[in-house]
Amino acid sequence: MATTLTPTLTNPVSFTPKRSKGQILVDWLTTTDHKKIGYLYLITSFLYFMIGGVMALIIRAQLTLPGLDIVASKEQYNQLFTMHGTIMLLMFATPLFAGFANVLMPVQIGAPDVAFPRLNAIAYWFYNFGSLIAVSGFFTPQGAASFGWFAYAPLSNTTFSPGIGGDLWVFGLALSGFGTILGGVNFITTIITMRAPGMTMWRMPIFTWNTLVTSILIIMCFPPLAAALFALGADRKFGAHIFDPENGGAMLWQHLFWFFGHPEVYIIALPFFGIVSEIFPVFSRKPIFGYRTLVYATIAIAALSMTVWAHHMYVTGQVLLPFFAFTTMLIAVPTGVKIFNWIGTLWKGSITFETPMLWSLGFLVSFVFGGLTGVILASPALDFHLSDSYFVVAHFHYVVFGTVVFAMFAGFYFWWPKFTGKMLNERLGKIHFWLLFIGFHTTFLIQHWLGVMGMPRRYATYLPEDGFTEMNMISTLGAAILALSMIPFLWNVWITARKGVKTELKDPWGYGRSLEWATDSPFPRHNFHSIPRIRSESPAFDLNHPEYASPEAKESYAKEGRI
Amino acid sequence: MSKNRRGIALVATSIASVLVLAGCSPELERGFLPDASGVTNHTDRIIGLWTTSWIVLLAVGFVSWALMAWALVVYRRRKGETGLPAQLRYNMPIETLFTVIPLILVLGFFAFTARDMQAIEAKNETPDVTIEVIGKQWSWDFNYVNEQVFYSGIQAQFTGEEENISETLPTLYLPINKTVKIDLSSRDVIHSFWVIDFLYKKDMFPGMTNHMYFTPTKEGTYAGKCAELCGEYHSMMLFQVKVVSEQEYAAYIAELAAKGNVGQLSNDYDRNQNLPGNNPEVRG
Repeated sequence: MATTLTPTLTNPVSFTPKRSKGQILVDWLTTTDHKKIGYLYLITSFLYFMIGGVMALIIRAQLTLPGLDIVASKEQYNQLFTMHGTIMLLMFATPLFAGFANVLMPVQIGAPDVAFPRLNAIAYWFYNFGSLIAVSGFFTPQGAASFGWFAYAPLSNTTFSPGIGGDLWVFGLALSGFGTILGGVNFITTIITMRAPGMTMWRMPIFTWNTLVTSILIIMCFPPLAAALFALGADRKFGAHIFDPENGGAMLWQHLFWFFGHPEVYIIALPFFGIVSEIFPVFSRKPIFGYRTLVYATIAIAALSMTVWAHHMYVTGQVLLPFFAFTTMLIAVPTGVKIFNWIGTLWKGSITFETPMLWSLGFLVSFVFGGLTGVILASPALDFHLSDSYFVVAHFHYVVFGTVVFAMFAGFYFWWPKFTGKMLNERLGKIHFWLLFIGFHTTFLIQHWLGVMGMPRRYATYLPEDGFTEMNMISTLGAAILALSMIPFLWNVWITARKGVKTELKDPWGYGRSLEWATDSPFPRHNFHSIPRIRSESPAFDLNHPEYASPEAKESYAKEGRI
Repeated sequence: MSKNRRGIALVATSIASVLVLAGCSPELERGFLPDASGVTNHTDRIIGLWTTSWIVLLAVGFVSWALMAWALVVYRRRKGETGLPAQLRYNMPIETLFTVIPLILVLGFFAFTARDMQAIEAKNETPDVTIEVIGKQWSWDFNYVNEQVFYSGIQAQFTGEEENISETLPTLYLPINKTVKIDLSSRDVIHSFWVIDFLYKKDMFPGMTNHMYFTPTKEGTYAGKCAELCGEYHSMMLFQVKVVSEQEYAAYIAELAAKGNVGQLSNDYDRNQNLPGNNPEVRG
């Protein structure tokens, strides 16, 4: 009997019968395959990235000159930046993590799927429908939510924001938040229980480690958000008075929101730190430098991130400044450790500059500056002036855009052959990178100066005598370049799908380290036909470059008499 | 060898040119902050912390960027290069070093921060001047508590053309070199009282009172803006502060009194009383 099974195991014939469009659609809508769900996440979140980006362009256009009326009303402007923030944080960056983690994490630990495939599917659909509900506010008579993405009480109650758009925002986000929580539970269970033989915790790729730590953060900080949103919903729909200023509700909301909101920043940063931690070693042809310190730094960042929420509230005059200043500043230490570990990976390497590497380096250069301004903002004495100014806007775009978007494109170019079996065009990828890099820094660097000079965030317009005009013009110009950079990318995706050459290689980059580079491109249905021995955090590299393999792998090869 | 030397020379020249430029411009000397030196008793302290922090941070930044640039240039894979570099996995002494040094820098930064924020936030319960500022969608009311007069502001009106808007903005008068305490509250949503050249802001909440303490030390007119999103006309919620001599201040108070602005405005008409379910007939 075994002999009849052997051919299908070692020599799988990819038998794909012709399917009708309807069958393909039903297959995608009902799939519980972690990779397909991952692609659904990636595609959906990228669409939201572009929608949020168009909103950003309208915002920038409105601010080009003082007193413009690009938007119909200031209320509409408020809706745009509210939904821009909401979309970019909760409909783009967070599900983008779920996308990358879904596609890659099971492969990286040698598992055939996630622990709970159906829960995985429902998590995606919660996210999808929750987001649609929140965004559908734009199609209601009074428009979408306009109280800012952090929805401070009492502005977010029905006295000051009566529109139905606010209700849709509250309940839509609550639904989508449950999707995120379920995804986190799923990832944790998968990593704990489904690692292949030999894949000990200390041999997991950094991306998988960061997925684990991020998921733990999610299950700690999304439930308070869900609770706060339902309480706000009860206030709005049933007159519940939970966030009445009379009862201290204004501060209560801020605490609950930022108890979620600050870890959220790390939820969208850590996985992308993980992506670049996968890429630097491959194109430096060296293992990640200080693997364990890097993991401990990630854990330290996650732990500290739960203790710093009130640094968003220094100017409320209601928080213990020294405590939150100290914990916030401490985060700079593990973050610095990470940066130096990445530099250590480059050090004495043999570096080439393929697109994934270029994007990762773009991240590293930009992120350092975001880190520096973060240290400045950690000091209440300086934050009193800078809080709620464009300095803050510039800071968080450096850390969030600098991390999520740069690392997202790094990951796309890096893993595209694993997703589709085809490599994206390198030349278009480099044009894409340089346009975006220049556009990004032109847009956001100047905003630091704007903030220091006194331009508040969320202002629909400003005075000519403020002296902000030239800087805003530069920033808008940068945003236009940034938008243009999407053209070579979309063209690249299109042309690769149409005319790209299939790669026959499991590891087209040549120096891949983790398990996904030891299986076919694109991934087979159940991820592996066979799994190589796992003796270090770089099983694919050990397999393909035995003479440079890790000490543990060499030892195992020596026992077998292979070297 | 000569390549390395050229690299070092390049780095040295760029550092030198940055330093030369730094010497030239007063904007750079105060780290591009507004010209706030001596405006209140706190501003010099803030400017000092700001500039020293930036010098240290930029030094750290330049070290990081220089290390990256060095690695990318020196360790790039040359044409025709084969084989792989040494597979170095960790180096405990170096990793300890780049954990401990940032920790020391952070502790130092915290010490200076703690010193300065304590001074800025220090309470003074016997001020020469007490002002109550009440935020409301989308303007400001000023109560001169000692003198029992008030001023009630309206939203800024502007079209975007060059015009002298400052005539029409709500204006808070303060006498120079007097200790001031400002009580901040709101009649509807959260606002934030930001006088840009004071390098300080504080939030204004409905249902509770915040305070700020300072001494204005330089005569002038200073722009102020609401810094917390407060609804549609947030960007129109502007004001200004005029720091004037004691005589001018007395004259302004007399003018307010002559206009009949006698007494104090209050938060009796806080709009949160209109929340659903807050009907006084039901609540009694």
